[in-house]
Amino acid sequence: MKAALTRWGLRFILLIITLVFVYPFAWMFFSGFKTNLEIYRPLQLLPESFGGEYYRGLFSGEWLHYGTVYGNSFLIAMGQALGAVLLTSMCGYVFAKCPLRGKPAWFMLTLLVILIPKQVIALPLLTWIQRIHLYDSLLGVVLPGIVSGVGVLFFTLAFRQVPDALLEQARVEGASEFRIYWTVLPLMNAALLTFGLIHFILSWHEHLIPLLILHEHVTLPLAMSSLQSSGLRFPQAIIMCASTLTILPTALIFALLYRRTRSALAELMST
Amino acid sequence: MKRSWPGGPVSLLLPFFACFLLFWAIPLLDGVRISLHSNEIAGPTHFVGLDNYRAVLSDPRHGTALKNTTLYTLASLGLILPLSLCLAFILKTAFKRLRPILSFLLLLPAITPPVVLGTLFLLVFHGREGLLNQFFVLPFGFKAINWLKDPDWILCGLVLQSVWRWTGFVTFFLLCGLEGLPKTYEESSSLEGARPWQTYWRIQVPLLGPMILFVMAYLLVDSFAMFSGAYTILGNSGGTNDAGLMMVTYTYQTAFAPFNAFGRATAISLSLLPWMFLLLGFGYLTFKSVGRPGREPVL
Repeated sequence: MKAALTRWGLRFILLIITLVFVYPFAWMFFSGFKTNLEIYRPLQLLPESFGGEYYRGLFSGEWLHYGTVYGNSFLIAMGQALGAVLLTSMCGYVFAKCPLRGKPAWFMLTLLVILIPKQVIALPLLTWIQRIHLYDSLLGVVLPGIVSGVGVLFFTLAFRQVPDALLEQARVEGASEFRIYWTVLPLMNAALLTFGLIHFILSWHEHLIPLLILHEHVTLPLAMSSLQSSGLRFPQAIIMCASTLTILPTALIFALLYRRTRSALAELMST
Repeated sequence: MKRSWPGGPVSLLLPFFACFLLFWAIPLLDGVRISLHSNEIAGPTHFVGLDNYRAVLSDPRHGTALKNTTLYTLASLGLILPLSLCLAFILKTAFKRLRPILSFLLLLPAITPPVVLGTLFLLVFHGREGLLNQFFVLPFGFKAINWLKDPDWILCGLVLQSVWRWTGFVTFFLLCGLEGLPKTYEESSSLEGARPWQTYWRIQVPLLGPMILFVMAYLLVDSFAMFSGAYTILGNSGGTNDAGLMMVTYTYQTAFAPFNAFGRATAISLSLLPWMFLLLGFGYLTFKSVGRPGREPVL
């Protein structure tokens, strides 16, 4: 009896907390249909009428070129995710499975990357990017984003789970290390997807580095923060629509890969 | 490449370390050079030794920014970690079928770009009408708080946004970790008559040690380098009386208009490094004494 009571109490607390976490999203979605007057009354959740005019306004190009900006963001996030997954998983494989002289030293270097985040080297990175003529190009944001120390650490842990017997057999047959890595890769697909997803989300959010390096080719965070500072007379619902659509891809991909992500993370702990 | 090197493994490392060299090591070393040079915008700069660092250390705003950032980091970590440990426990013991859906919903704030938070802040922190005031401040008989203008509360608002943003994410990680732990510990300790909370706190949390450490390091670096949240909420300023001045905002202000002191700004960034190592070490030690990751499960 008492146990059941505590259980319902805990359930109730958790549901309240979930509500606190989710309510703002509902408000944001509905605010995409509201007039400014309604938005400045935050207690009101539902709009007085549902019309798609603000969504149309978002894509009309009157306030921002939403389609182009969206495309830029997508290319950058995709490039960073794919690049980081490929390069860091190769490192992870070597650190977990290959005999190599000076391995601890290489590994320490990647740990340094985790400790010194990009924001710290942002300014010299900007001057360096200008010097190698990548300023205001998407590539100038993608390439620095590939250097992910967290990725190397993650894949080192993940590759430890591959049984050694599998690799030894391939080595005896004289396969090159790259060849072995490539054959083992499909076994890792849950881990690859998980890290790719996390990295995609991080670069989808990135603000400082694109703000410094990009000028004409802006990304979503940049476009939206300049919208927000453009004054109060401008229809706030446009920002709400833009926000809703900005969350959509990350939430969708995460929902689709949710099960795999969970099992990949659980496996990391089971070693 | 020398012949004595095992060619295979190194060739797999090369692409990553080429990027590492080009987009991390060179900028970092170049940063050291820039920070030792004068601040002319146009024309050649000259070597000034440690002058930039001295200027930074004697600037009172540097102290303010450092204090704010440190407080922000410690407060967010101190709130997020216990809260998400509790949430993970509740999700694990009290829910079965709803567990995946609930943990996904809790995760939503983390996959929301910080810029979008700016819009949501209108809802939550809005002067008198905001939800926080309406539901959590006024009902308890307090005066409405102007979260984004009142210098006493700005930092608190920033910490709250960080808690809101990351708690669900950390909970998700912990929950996945818990699912990966072998069931035997749990079963044997419940046979011995331990309550679920005791089993959780004494056995499973210590076993999660490596994951907690990982999450903590991640949060620490992320909050120290916090930019987007403060930038969208407070703009390119520190808020009233610099009460919300963050280290990255301060660097950004120094590097561009009106100061345009690039060398000094780089010096600010680099002067953070020892401080960050210190914080990380401190976090590690606290964690070791509280979480006891190395301890063998008793029972």
